[in-house]
Amino acid sequence: MPWNDNANPGPWGSPQPGDDDGRKDAPKRRPQGGGPRRPGGPGGPDMGAGFEELRRRLGGMFGGPGGGVRPGAIAAIAGLAFALWTLTGVYVVQPNEEAVVTTFGAYSRSEAPGLRYHLPVPIERAEKVPVTTLNRIDIGGTGTPDGDIPQESLMLTSDENIIDLNFSVTWRVQDAARYIFATRNPEEAVKAVAESAMREVIGKTPLDPIFTTGRGTVQLQVADLMQKTLDRWGAGVSIVEVQIRSVNPPQEALAAFRDVQSAEQDRDSAVNEANTYRNRVVNEAKGDAAKITQSAQGYREQAVREATGDAARFNSIYNEYRRAPGATKDRLYIETMQKVLARSNKVIVDSKGASAPIILPPDVFRPRAATPTVTIEPPPAAASGNEAKAPAR
Amino acid sequence: MTSRRYTVYIAILIGLIIVLANTLFVVDQREQAIVVRLGEPVRVVNAPPGQTGAGLNVKTPFLENVIKFDRRNLALEADQEEVLTSDQQRLVVDAFLRYRISDPLQYYRTLRDERTAQDRLERLVNSSLRQVLGTASATDVISGRRAVLMQQSKVDVERRAKASRLGIEVIDVRIKRADLPANNQASVYRRMQTQRQQIAAQTRAQGEQQKREIIASADKEVAITLATAQQEGETTRGEGDALRTRIFAQSFGKDPGFASFYRSMQAYEQGIGQGDATLVLSPDSAFFKYFQYGPSGAGRR
Repeated sequence: MPWNDNANPGPWGSPQPGDDDGRKDAPKRRPQGGGPRRPGGPGGPDMGAGFEELRRRLGGMFGGPGGGVRPGAIAAIAGLAFALWTLTGVYVVQPNEEAVVTTFGAYSRSEAPGLRYHLPVPIERAEKVPVTTLNRIDIGGTGTPDGDIPQESLMLTSDENIIDLNFSVTWRVQDAARYIFATRNPEEAVKAVAESAMREVIGKTPLDPIFTTGRGTVQLQVADLMQKTLDRWGAGVSIVEVQIRSVNPPQEALAAFRDVQSAEQDRDSAVNEANTYRNRVVNEAKGDAAKITQSAQGYREQAVREATGDAARFNSIYNEYRRAPGATKDRLYIETMQKVLARSNKVIVDSKGASAPIILPPDVFRPRAATPTVTIEPPPAAASGNEAKAPAR
Repeated sequence: MTSRRYTVYIAILIGLIIVLANTLFVVDQREQAIVVRLGEPVRVVNAPPGQTGAGLNVKTPFLENVIKFDRRNLALEADQEEVLTSDQQRLVVDAFLRYRISDPLQYYRTLRDERTAQDRLERLVNSSLRQVLGTASATDVISGRRAVLMQQSKVDVERRAKASRLGIEVIDVRIKRADLPANNQASVYRRMQTQRQQIAAQTRAQGEQQKREIIASADKEVAITLATAQQEGETTRGEGDALRTRIFAQSFGKDPGFASFYRSMQAYEQGIGQGDATLVLSPDSAFFKYFQYGPSGAGRR
């Protein structure tokens, strides 16, 4: 029996080499006692002795010379073994776990976290499933350009464009028993459903919204579709979140997509330029307009005031004129003529009796300021000359 | 004597154990089993649906064998398959099937084991997809009617599986990918490029259009502002002129004759008397009345 072979070094095996290195007094201790034992173990000598006796009795049982085997001892040993076997059914379910217990392979019950017991192993087994742990699957690659998996990430949109989309799915076990029993390779199933659902949703969505506003909707739709499919299968899996990590145009068309963005910038800057121009020109025009109206108002005021002034002057003179009309009129005429003639070139010609046209020298028509002041006695026939008077300026 | 008695006990014990081991068998929750008597399947243990008989089971020892099958939802990934749609476009379709062994007796008779089943099912799924997708256009497969087509394929696979007595239950047929073949992809990329170029050109043109519109409207605003100002200005000037005229008329109207005389005098002074005119006068003008005729001033006029 194997028991006999193992009994020689004792139930605890040989002393561990680490113990020798650790203590200096270990070699002294080792020779003590009946057999090798753990240093310092309080129950050591007693237990060793117990096994020694057990060995002897067993030896007697199987063909040993004549020693009486007591049946009570066998019963005690069997009882002890049974008790130990029974105790193997104690187990701990961690707070993030749920345990599924099967009886001869058949589902019996699910157990919540805590210290639990199941019947020992061939009869019952417990399988622990982490139910609160969030699992994550990355699809389409790891997000870096190197980790890209084109056959997973390239997909067709409803307007038959191709996009490069990476996403991840977060899920957890909702029902431990279903998770274990309903599906083979549940993790792969989740991944396959995710791919299929994402392609189905993207296939219904046009290109532009995927890049802009439609992202959230796509995520929700995929999560919803996945959940429905998995529920139909009874997979016991709950989809926590679907997240689009990156979505890009395919490499081949990237430059053209970027150019669209720069065209938008160009458009905005053209509009800005135009608005700048507008602000400048319109404000200048407002200024000019103000100038025009102001100057017109100035003109009006001026005209009114001048007219009022002139009228007042006329009124004063007229009042005086009425007292002596003839004399005043003559005086005004003569004064005016004096002023006019005083400042002008004058040629006085008596044309009566002249038979031929009178020819005047061209000097006469020169502006007075430009001609020298000379006094010429007028000849009897034609008189010419400049009055010797300074310009009244 | 005692040792011989022990030997007999032990022999009986071992014999019992062998018989028991041949009588009892365990069927896991994940499994189902058929019991075969001398090569002939006789009964089924724990077949879906329902909870019949997982756990410890009994059979006739030595005469009967147990063959176990999976009871769970199983996957079958079909190989990529090129499908011709009704509008003669090629699509690379990648689908998977979820199924369950629902009738292990049939399954065992027709397919024996899982490897055979996978081969058989893959052919079945592929031909079903070719047929179902062949009735739809590429657009339908890619977007519009994908869910409907998947449902149709499921029904079709189910029907064929039943007809061939495969003993399986089809849970789902799902198209994973439906993409264009590689050489078509290049043309899609080209189209996407040109599409974007078109959008970019349009955007730029829009920018130019808006710019010109803004500039034009600004110019218009300027013109209107100036013209309005001009209008107001002229009106104001006109008002000024009118007021001036009225003021003059009010005061000159008292004696038009004198007013005319007075105004003429002013005009002469300012119009002629600035030193830049040359006057050719005749001595018999009114101014020279005394100059010519002496103190009496009486000329023969």
